[in-house]
Amino acid sequence: MSNDVFFLAEFSEGKPARSAQELATGAAQLAAQSGGAAVGLAYGEGSGESAGLGAWGANRMVILGEGNGPAVGFAAAAASAVGEGGLAVLAPATPNGRDLAAALVGKLGLPALGPVRAVRVEGGGLHAEASTLQGTFVTVSEPTDGAPAPTVVLVLANTFTPEEGGGTAEVTSAPEAAADPFGAATIVESHAEGKAAVNLEEATVIVAGGRGVGSADGFGILQELADELGGAVGSSRAAADAGWVPYQLQIGQTGKVVKPALYLGCGISGAIQHRVGMQTSENVVAINKDPDAPIGEFADLFVVGDLFAVVPKLTQEIRRRKGA
Amino acid sequence: MRIVVCIKQVPATTAEKRYTPEMRLDRSGAEAVINPLDEYAIEQALKLQESGAVETVSYLSMGPEQATEALRRALAMGGDDATLVTDPALVGADEWATARVLAAALDRIGAEVSLMGMASDDARGSLVPGAVAAIRNLPLLSYGAQLWVEGKAARIRRLNSTGYDILEAPLPVVASVTDQVGEPRYASLKGIMAAKRKPLETWSLADIGLSADEIHGGAVTRMVEVRPPEEKGPTERIENVGADEAAAKVADWLAARKLI
Repeated sequence: MSNDVFFLAEFSEGKPARSAQELATGAAQLAAQSGGAAVGLAYGEGSGESAGLGAWGANRMVILGEGNGPAVGFAAAAASAVGEGGLAVLAPATPNGRDLAAALVGKLGLPALGPVRAVRVEGGGLHAEASTLQGTFVTVSEPTDGAPAPTVVLVLANTFTPEEGGGTAEVTSAPEAAADPFGAATIVESHAEGKAAVNLEEATVIVAGGRGVGSADGFGILQELADELGGAVGSSRAAADAGWVPYQLQIGQTGKVVKPALYLGCGISGAIQHRVGMQTSENVVAINKDPDAPIGEFADLFVVGDLFAVVPKLTQEIRRRKGA
Repeated sequence: MRIVVCIKQVPATTAEKRYTPEMRLDRSGAEAVINPLDEYAIEQALKLQESGAVETVSYLSMGPEQATEALRRALAMGGDDATLVTDPALVGADEWATARVLAAALDRIGAEVSLMGMASDDARGSLVPGAVAAIRNLPLLSYGAQLWVEGKAARIRRLNSTGYDILEAPLPVVASVTDQVGEPRYASLKGIMAAKRKPLETWSLADIGLSADEIHGGAVTRMVEVRPPEEKGPTERIENVGADEAAAKVADWLAARKLI
């Protein structure tokens, strides 16, 4: 059995997702601990040109397929690429990443860990740290002795910081895989609704709005603050359900799970369903006029005040300091 | 046309939770409910039955004897029958073992659509629907904001980066849905009474043709440590000041952490 560390590398519109860069660096770090290679499994439009992920730490890239169909269509190729074993397969904890991770678990009977907030190799084995039960516990898990390998590890965004400095990865194609009923789904219609939303999972600063923002227009001042901070706008489920922002911006249990360096919540009460989507953020700032809002119990900084007064002033203040 | 909704009984979101010395979730004492995200799958299935697209709605759960309560509660919302797979060998089952067991039970029940919630409240790996599909080698339609069944195919609406896609796959399929399918209905008193007379079967591992060995004793992963999260520092509060002063203080705070 090899000590190689695989990672899923999603491409779209010719470019690797930020998760592909993060996981390339993560796989390289783990491979250095295990004495194996970091091997990327690239899929999607542009994955043929994935040698560049070598810069982020990949030693080798295996092309699963270059189509832009659903991710499940690459499952058979992924299973054949990792079928001979290895230490781990790192998968982004996104819908596509989870679909492929699940396929590997089902097809090959592999152990699965995560979604993790940290992972390391210790005594030759994997140790994965996860936040469970709505953040009330941290657990460390490992594959059992004799479990099939590799172990599938779901990884939250921003768990690894991409580090540039490597070379060019060697690129090969996955072995031919037979037609696969599991991946039979096809996209029969595609609808764009407005401009491409910034991928929240990739943002290092997020300004999120909730019920307290009150309207779609209200999100305008949040966008200005996000622009000033070089970040993206997110929302609670209440704001998405109200139609103020598209569901792509929803953070929480049924939306995106984010881990930015700065999360700034405006008019968000901090219900548990939202909290599980942002609680591993490095710095949490909340602005809410309700002094008893639950978010006040776990924020690092809690401003009791009217977001419509404070947010524009904060944008101005940051702009002023940047100009100074 | 039959749809089987897989449901999991979990501790209530707000219940106090702890692990046993064996590092398993201590389910005694905590109020147990249907996994909230599975209720959306139930709602979607019942809507399909009401529209005539589906004739029969069945439920399947894997868990301790106590999980029959969750199945009765589901039957009170609607639907026709339920099955619980329970076996001492399944205590502490991980995602792979759970998927293996559900897949075997679904094969025995036979259904055009096997439907699940997008995640469980207590684990959040979201891997079981996909693993069940892979084990049965059936098409996966995951994270549907809506599910349709028409003729020989199923379709879902799924968010993409700018809008949404419609995905289609030939029946039979394994599907999962999100909380966008519509708020789950409440069980009526009449529904609760009717549920008591609906068929509910209990199967062991042997009944679905599996042995404890085949599922590696229920897990290929194990927990080696459980601890409380790191104590965060106390929350700093800014209150009873004007917007200008609040903004300046927040900017100072951000600058001190090199965030601006």
